[in-house]
Amino acid sequence: MKAGSDALPIEVRNFVMRFGDTTVIEDLSFEVRRGETFGFLGSNGSGKTTTIRALLSIYEPTSGSLLVEGRRFAPDSGAKLGYLPEERGLYKKEPVIDTMVYFGRLKGMGAAEAKRWSMEYLDRVGLADKSGIRIDKLSGGQQQKVQLGVTIMNRPNLLILDEPTKGFDPVNRRLLMEIIEELSVAGTTTVLVTHQMEEAERLCDRVMMLKDSKRRLYGTVDDILDSYGNSQVAIKYRGQLPAQAKTYTVAGQSGGQSVLNPNNGTTVAQVFSELGSQTGLEVTDFRVRRQSLDEIFVSMYSQKEPSVA
Amino acid sequence: MHNLGTVVSFELVRTLKKKTFWLSVLAFPLLLAAIVGLSYFSNKSAEDASDKLNQDKFSFAVVDRSMLVSPALVTAAQGRVVTNDRRAIQDVKEGRLDAVIIYPSNPADEAVRIYAKDAGLTKNGKYPSVATQLLQASVTSSIGSPRKVALLTSEPDVSVTTYVGGKEVKGIERAIAPGIFLVLFYVLIVLLGNQMLTSTTEEKENRVIEMVLTTVSARSLIIGKIVTMMLLGVIQVITIVVPLIIAYVFFKDSLNIPAIDFSQIVLDPVRMLVGGSVFTLGFMLFTGMLVAIGSAMPTAKEAGGFFGFAMILMFAPLYALAAIVSSPEQLMVKVFSFFPLTAPITLMLRNAVDNLSGTEIAAGLLVLALSSVLALVLAVRIFKTGSLRYDTRMSATEIFRLRRG
Repeated sequence: MKAGSDALPIEVRNFVMRFGDTTVIEDLSFEVRRGETFGFLGSNGSGKTTTIRALLSIYEPTSGSLLVEGRRFAPDSGAKLGYLPEERGLYKKEPVIDTMVYFGRLKGMGAAEAKRWSMEYLDRVGLADKSGIRIDKLSGGQQQKVQLGVTIMNRPNLLILDEPTKGFDPVNRRLLMEIIEELSVAGTTTVLVTHQMEEAERLCDRVMMLKDSKRRLYGTVDDILDSYGNSQVAIKYRGQLPAQAKTYTVAGQSGGQSVLNPNNGTTVAQVFSELGSQTGLEVTDFRVRRQSLDEIFVSMYSQKEPSVA
Repeated sequence: MHNLGTVVSFELVRTLKKKTFWLSVLAFPLLLAAIVGLSYFSNKSAEDASDKLNQDKFSFAVVDRSMLVSPALVTAAQGRVVTNDRRAIQDVKEGRLDAVIIYPSNPADEAVRIYAKDAGLTKNGKYPSVATQLLQASVTSSIGSPRKVALLTSEPDVSVTTYVGGKEVKGIERAIAPGIFLVLFYVLIVLLGNQMLTSTTEEKENRVIEMVLTTVSARSLIIGKIVTMMLLGVIQVITIVVPLIIAYVFFKDSLNIPAIDFSQIVLDPVRMLVGGSVFTLGFMLFTGMLVAIGSAMPTAKEAGGFFGFAMILMFAPLYALAAIVSSPEQLMVKVFSFFPLTAPITLMLRNAVDNLSGTEIAAGLLVLALSSVLALVLAVRIFKTGSLRYDTRMSATEIFRLRRG
């Protein structure tokens, strides 16, 4: 076990979580590298939030090792953490500035420093004049801005965002993305827990997907798209396209255009080879498109038996 | 105890900033001031009225069948003795006389009758006042001894001295100092109970608990809240006690408050130590139980029902006050003394009246120490699990599993 700068920001080994007779996570291992944006993917109820809560010592794991900066996480372990949970809220009856200063102090800032930082942040998001107002008097969008500010106070080294855009309006979603990018540039390691595949594909360096309590996909976004995403071939042609072929199936057809799905174990080159061998068929244009992460996700969850481990 | 001070200062300052807190804190002293004021002005107006009545002279006649009333006293009061009551009543009716007082042959059994000119609802009181004063003054003057008169007209001062093992022991004065713990316990629970419950469920109801638990441990958070409650309790007690002291020092005479001889109050160090220990352990048990109830329930409203039930159990011994004070050997008193929830009040009561044996003190403190530590440990565990159950309450089975875990 290594603690300090040599340790990984997150290292999980053989994590098992059971609630009574229900197994929520089964033998999960993964790591998050320093400075990367890591996507933790899975459908609702797949165990993502449970894993994060166990990682942050909110839950006690049934077995396994879950380390943050080389040690079991504790509020006083010294890790500079920014955590935006899925179930989120603030002290609604307290003034904005009091709440922010409280969290700043809990995160290790001095009262004056926390106040100064909070006022700068509120100024940035256009809420400086609301600092003395009770949180429940703010609009939903304004409360989200305060929530984000509380999350990133004290410049966290590790940012864990659980379903970060859930319930956020477009303005705050953009603000969140700006913040993630800013912190990422500054070297913050970010874990994005989500089932929004577009977000993950756009923001993450590496991803992991959970299904049926187990890890199903794990690697860089490009590797996963290459390995698990079937390509599609869209062609324009003249002549007759055979309905039956060895290397592909026709996914869609309209006039002189078709979308072909290569069969399992077949490469795009083999599809073109077969097309070239067809008499009376002339391909005039083509486009090869990889499946998106979202399509891989849907495909993965529609399979009864896992094809990838 | 990482961040304990931050939690305490945040919880304390935000509570002290709330108007509702000060309204509840000041409600008692304000009520007390109102009662004191009313009592003062009521006493003053009654005295004024009495003085005025005494100055309000009226003509009257006396018919004395008892032979107890002194004619000299009647004459001195500017009345006259007559024998014909009918004529006297007629004189009153026709306005020649203000009143006639007719004493029956046996005033101890029969009513003294007065026929008088109506002077209004309040001023009519002068007639029975004069009738009573005349009769009492006549009877006491016939005794001829001021000492006997004093004995008949006031309670004699009785002093009781008791001994244990040849040593003199005090009476009620012995119960006052250790009894203060009982009063403090009652006041703290009544004033702080709901506040503690709301404070425990607040993070859960606001969905802020997960963020909080990554910056401060559940144990520090709970202890911070308990420390805050104790500080608020001290503030509330001071707010209540200071007006009482002021009322005693400055308004003792006008409010007819009996004088207290503080030198007679006994400070027995052993019983003070026992009282303090039971108070502290009882408060720990109480707060642990509140945190556990609050954590297992999704809202303070739902927790309120269970809290009410626990309060009934805690104060149940007060319904058996007579038995606890005078018959400590009864089985019910023994059960109340050692059942964790009823033990604090029972032990403090018994300690105040000094009917606890050394063995009972040891056993009671042991039960309270074990149950309060267990309650706090269990409260922290329930808090860690239950505080994330936003919409459903924890079942008894789940809590039992936690206890085993």
